Amino acid sequence: MMQSIGTGAVPIEVLLVEDSPGDVRLTREAFKDAKVHINLNVATDGAEAMAYLGNEGKYANVPRPDLILLDLNLPKKDGREVLAELKESPALKCIPVVILTTSASETDIHGSYQHHANCYITKPVDLEGFLKVVKSIDSFWLSVVKLPRVART
Amino acid sequence: MKTKSLLNRKVQLAFGAVILTLVAVGTISSRALAVSGELNRWVGHTHEVLENLEKLMLAMQNVESSFRGMVVTGKESYLESYHANIASAEQYNLIVRRLTVDNPAQQQRLPALERLAAQKVQFSDGVIGLRRTKGLQAAADAMSDGKGQRIMDEFQAVIRDMQDEELRLLALRDVDARRRLAQAKAALVLGILLGLFTAAFAGWSVQRDSSGRALATEKLQDSEEKYRSLIDGVQDYAIFTLDPGGKVVSWNAGAERIKGYKAEEIIGQNFSRFYLQTDIDQGNPEKELNLAAANGRSEVEHWRVRKDGSRFWASVVLTAARDSSGLLLGFSEISRDISERKETEAKYRWLLEAAPDAMVVVNAAGEIVLLNVQAEKQFGYHRDELAGQKVTNIIPEGFAERLIADGTRTAAEALAQQIGTGIELTARRKDGSNFPIEIMLSPLESTEGILVTAAIRDITERKKSEQHLVKTVGELKRSNDELQQFAYVASHDLQEPLRMVASFTQLLAKRYKGRLDSEADEFIAYAVDGSNRMQGLIQDLLAYSRAGTNGQPLLEISSEKALNDALANLRATIQESGAVVTHDSLPAITTDDAQLVLVFQNLVGNAIKYRSTEVPRVHVSATKNGGKEWNFSVRDNGLGIDPQYFERIFVLFQRLHGRQEFKGTGIGLAICKKIVERLGGRIWVESQPQKGSTFYFALPERDGR
Repeated sequence: MMQSIGTGAVPIEVLLVEDSPGDVRLTREAFKDAKVHINLNVATDGAEAMAYLGNEGKYANVPRPDLILLDLNLPKKDGREVLAELKESPALKCIPVVILTTSASETDIHGSYQHHANCYITKPVDLEGFLKVVKSIDSFWLSVVKLPRVART
Repeated sequence: MKTKSLLNRKVQLAFGAVILTLVAVGTISSRALAVSGELNRWVGHTHEVLENLEKLMLAMQNVESSFRGMVVTGKESYLESYHANIASAEQYNLIVRRLTVDNPAQQQRLPALERLAAQKVQFSDGVIGLRRTKGLQAAADAMSDGKGQRIMDEFQAVIRDMQDEELRLLALRDVDARRRLAQAKAALVLGILLGLFTAAFAGWSVQRDSSGRALATEKLQDSEEKYRSLIDGVQDYAIFTLDPGGKVVSWNAGAERIKGYKAEEIIGQNFSRFYLQTDIDQGNPEKELNLAAANGRSEVEHWRVRKDGSRFWASVVLTAARDSSGLLLGFSEISRDISERKETEAKYRWLLEAAPDAMVVVNAAGEIVLLNVQAEKQFGYHRDELAGQKVTNIIPEGFAERLIADGTRTAAEALAQQIGTGIELTARRKDGSNFPIEIMLSPLESTEGILVTAAIRDITERKKSEQHLVKTVGELKRSNDELQQFAYVASHDLQEPLRMVASFTQLLAKRYKGRLDSEADEFIAYAVDGSNRMQGLIQDLLAYSRAGTNGQPLLEISSEKALNDALANLRATIQESGAVVTHDSLPAITTDDAQLVLVFQNLVGNAIKYRSTEVPRVHVSATKNGGKEWNFSVRDNGLGIDPQYFERIFVLFQRLHGRQEFKGTGIGLAICKKIVERLGGRIWVESQPQKGSTFYFALPERDGR
């Protein structure tokens, strides 16, 4: 069943794949600033993200995310590989992926869309910009857009 | 010569045939004579036999008649004849026996004849005895039985048989002799005819040959005359003949012209007078004659002396003349004055020697004909070691092959096709070491055919410096790339922690402003400001390091559209400042679109930013510069720039104003300069303080796409 996100009793599950604790904190602060009721889960590298999404090991019981915020430059398995695997997986490919990275490289932008990223955002360098971006993600992906809700395993 | 020997042969053959015929005829004749003689002898013999047989018979008849006379008359006188004839008969009998000794048939008859003769005599003697003693009647009675007559008849029959036999033999011999005579006669006639015919044929043949020979001789004389007059008339070549000892035998007009002697003064003189004294002293004239005699020909280029003593450089060919048996008849010499050629060659050689490069002249066979001192030096050979050698000895590959004619091209074409410069090959020195060369080839028409002059330059040093240059350029590029990479990585990686610093100081300011003390607020403010500025610098550095490196393919674009894009990006600035930006019609140009936008954006942005108190007016135009470049200009009515800073303003992070006056890091013009130069253009400024500035940039006109 479909429902408007952020308004229901069930919190929206967001997976942030980000290795920088500062950025994790900033993102958390930004969502807090935007007063959104979300459940922000964090994976600090690509391998962990895939384990999380595959409900492997300690992630056996984690909820399936409704939205993934993916950094590209990650340790172990980088964001490009994570994106490719996600979009090739029938089970995971319909989860929207927002690339949130410091890279403004054309190659990265083009490559991400080639692998079916849902949108690509370069992290603004100043705080105000960053807050604005997170607010926009919230308002667009978590309020405006209707996302598929798949029965969780 | 040939004609003559042929003729001799024919004559010899004809004589041989005639002699043979005569011998044959003689043989046949003598045999015929022999046959005839034999026949005569046989005829005589037969006649002798017949005659003696006749005489024998006559003697026996006389014996009979004497016997009868004595018996009838009783006279003893008859007995005298009787006994005489008996003796004769015996004598004739002996003769016949002798004559017929070679005839067994006759010999067989002889005993019968002798027996009959003896019986006859015995009978007669008996009757004679009776007559004497008993008288006539008794004798007549003894004779009445006819015995005496029978003996006589038988005797005569044998004689006749023998006569018949002889006649038969004679007839046989006669037939044989006649046949053989007829044969001999026929052979004689034939032999005579044959002899006559052969003689006639030989005569005709010789006649014909000698008449043909006469004609040929006539023709030969005619052609010789023509030839002689031709030779005599030749002016450019001295042509003369020498006897085996070297005395001049004939002399043409060219010889007179070239050497200065008239025929009558030189004929009979030794040809050594054409040589220099030094050559004569060394025995060179004789040597050359001997050489020509040995090899059939000798060819030299050397000095010769004229009658007046002056010398000239001559090309001389001396040819030995021999008859068919190989006997040396003399020599012919053809020589030419080639002083002029020698002079040309000397000039050419001088040029060759004066050339700064090694020069090697090669013929179509790939042999070195000539070389200069530089070639000696470069290849480490002495001149004499290389002249006549294959050029492959010094340039193993790539040169000689080019000279060779094949199915598709002639030697001349092969040579002509090799003309060119800058062919790089490897050469080999005498010591076997190799070195790089560049050769330049040019053809040279000569009496020896087309030659190729190769100018050979040792490019070891050049190769070294080329390699060095390539290496240096490579290193430079690598270091440049590294620097660029460094700038990008450094600014990008610096940005991350800086973003943290800036974000959290800003968050601190946002969350705690006014909640701490005023000093804390001030410190936080400085931290925020510093991190902001650093972010600006790093972003500009990133922008600068990226400028011109995106390497988009150059396309034909509208520079007017690029300007409009830039103006759109500057819309806020323009609106805020109230600037008036105008432009002429701008050209289509092949360049990098995005980078051109950036240049316009920086220049127009600067024009508005550094404005005076007046309303900013910016005008953009473009003109074609000498057909090769488009000159763009961005003119403003702003502050203007002191000429002393014209260079400095294009340097990274160089600013002419304080941060309080104008924001910015001083990156804009540096980026413009980098972009324009990457696109193969130039950028410069014309300005005076307070009178506005005009920034120019020139971009090369390229072929579309």
